[in-house]
Amino acid sequence: MIFPAFAAGRTDWTRYLFFTGKGGVGKTSLSCATALRLAESGRRVLLVSTDPASNLDEVLGIALSNTPTAVPGMSGLAALNIDPEEAARAYRERVIGPMRGILPEAALRSMEEGLSGSCTVEIAAFDEFTGLIGNPEAGKNFDHIVFDTAPTGHTLRLMSLAKAWDQFLDENTSGASCLGPLAGLEKQRGIYSAAVETLADKNLTTLVLVSRPQAASLREAERTSRELCELGVANQMLVVNGVFVARSPGDALATALQRRGDAALKQASGFLGSLPVTTVALRPRNILGIEGLRSIFEEPGCIESLQSGETWTPPEFGNMDDLIADLSASNRGVIMTMGKGGVGKTTIAASIAVALAERGHAVHLSTTDPAAHVAEALAGEVPGLTVSRIDPAAETEAYRRHVLSTAGATMDEASRALLEEDLRSPCTEEIAVFCAFAHEVAKGKEKFVVLDTAPTGHTLLLLDATESYQRELNRQARSTQPEEVLRLLDRLRDPEFTSILLVTLPEATPVHEASALQDDLRRAQIEPFGWIINQSLYESGSSDPLLRQREETEHRYLREVAEHLARRVALIRWQADEPVGVPALLALLHETSPTFT
Amino acid sequence: MCCSTGVCGPDVDPDLAQFSALLNRLGAGGIAVERYGLGQQPMAFVQNPKVKALLETEGAEALPLIFWDGEIVLKGKYPDAVERARWMQAAGVAT
Repeated sequence: MIFPAFAAGRTDWTRYLFFTGKGGVGKTSLSCATALRLAESGRRVLLVSTDPASNLDEVLGIALSNTPTAVPGMSGLAALNIDPEEAARAYRERVIGPMRGILPEAALRSMEEGLSGSCTVEIAAFDEFTGLIGNPEAGKNFDHIVFDTAPTGHTLRLMSLAKAWDQFLDENTSGASCLGPLAGLEKQRGIYSAAVETLADKNLTTLVLVSRPQAASLREAERTSRELCELGVANQMLVVNGVFVARSPGDALATALQRRGDAALKQASGFLGSLPVTTVALRPRNILGIEGLRSIFEEPGCIESLQSGETWTPPEFGNMDDLIADLSASNRGVIMTMGKGGVGKTTIAASIAVALAERGHAVHLSTTDPAAHVAEALAGEVPGLTVSRIDPAAETEAYRRHVLSTAGATMDEASRALLEEDLRSPCTEEIAVFCAFAHEVAKGKEKFVVLDTAPTGHTLLLLDATESYQRELNRQARSTQPEEVLRLLDRLRDPEFTSILLVTLPEATPVHEASALQDDLRRAQIEPFGWIINQSLYESGSSDPLLRQREETEHRYLREVAEHLARRVALIRWQADEPVGVPALLALLHETSPTFT
Repeated sequence: MCCSTGVCGPDVDPDLAQFSALLNRLGAGGIAVERYGLGQQPMAFVQNPKVKALLETEGAEALPLIFWDGEIVLKGKYPDAVERARWMQAAGVAT
């Protein structure tokens, strides 16, 4: 399949452009580069970023804030940056601050807990920039407003309820849970409805879905596309970012990389046929600076020669064999692989499970990734190894049904409708999966349990906060929580019981997300066992000029992980194909050169 | 928990979720009902001396606090099925 190149400079762009996609697909780079291109063609452009880990300040050479700042040297371009966590913190402070010294400490903590959910974060951030869409005055000095993020379905549904709020909140002060945190937001409710209408107007808004040429990434884009389409955001297009064409015929690695991308696009052909698709070529380097942003849409035909500027001394790496030998020292416990989507958590978890079973341990392998066919990856039985799967959709559905048939059974229609909307919030899936997860962790009392997904640090902090709630329930002799949930946090905090492996690729975003995860875990008093850098091109021996440049680009991230972030680290080489079958899974663990030790 | 229906907690308290329905019915039956959330209307907690005193002595565990005609009828928990039925009856609202 051949798709045209993404035309950032097209003259018929709508006024509002939203870039959306999972972290790491390149939506920030693409949105910045598009804004830059539009400004260069004489349009007045406002770039709105919500990426807290954004290096936009660095790229644009200015300190960004939550109000538009003109970008020096780039006439017509202004930018603003909203940190969602900061927006939520500011919102919490606006609500709680005035109560300090008036309400007792315990009540303040309770308020804070109620305003700490993922819904609050998402909605507080969206509130910050809704005015730009819903209020025609706000962006009147700009021809285009480019967002590096888009609202999720949950936020859009809440925004859609805005029209009914005035009446609803006046008459019904009960039950409004997800609306609860919204009630205190300062924006006019009318602005929310206007924002929803603008998002649905194809003459005003374009939703740019960004994906990598990878199966999981394309599936995610398809899911988002469908959900937002159902909510009326119909003007959509897809950009496949990072398409690779091998330049050295006969180079095995380059050929395999191209083949993998082609296969993913072919597999998604149904979805790709449903909307306009364009592509952006894989870059030889990270996008840095205005020049980098300008070059993003050019064909990387002319590859710069390798720069031999600084001498590269590889940091100390451990190997996977040693890591597994240490994990194997006890006969039971939980091993979890954590990290950003797409870094290879499932494959690594399967490899570790097989390696432990080979050593004669009883091992249970479980995953929450619906796209991960662990059983298929194993392609056969392994003595001592059992496999199961937590299906988030099924767990969430079971949880929804349970709540609706118990708590929701006698509700009137309005209360029930709100309960149903709450049950569609991101928190619900998190909680449903969390309960299933607690159940799997408890199995670690008798054997090894290897899990490829773990709750986020945020969930763990929430759990910590929930302990006080739990004590209250116990006091009332109404403890309905199973032992596995009650003991979960203790088990995760016990280094004798739980070993957490943070998995990353040697690239900026996955490393920084894993680092943030490590901070969250430490706040919940959980210390990761070690890091695994997966799919490294280090010493790949590829002769492809683009891959050689990318290999050089890895150096700073290998060093950052080994020297600053990880207590111990192992490295796994880039694999041409998904490892399938026991020999391939075991071989993966040896793709970690002894020269690293 | 971040939701007042409790679906964001690891365990849904059915009494909490049912409480919303109860208030709706009382309201529909002509009973004046006011509900204040700590996160939404914190001033209400400060301005009521009884509530403020209880928060100071017992902390957040005193919540929820339910008043009927100015008197505390329930403290630290939501009404269960028996209490809900009794209140509906007392209010003369059909169940």
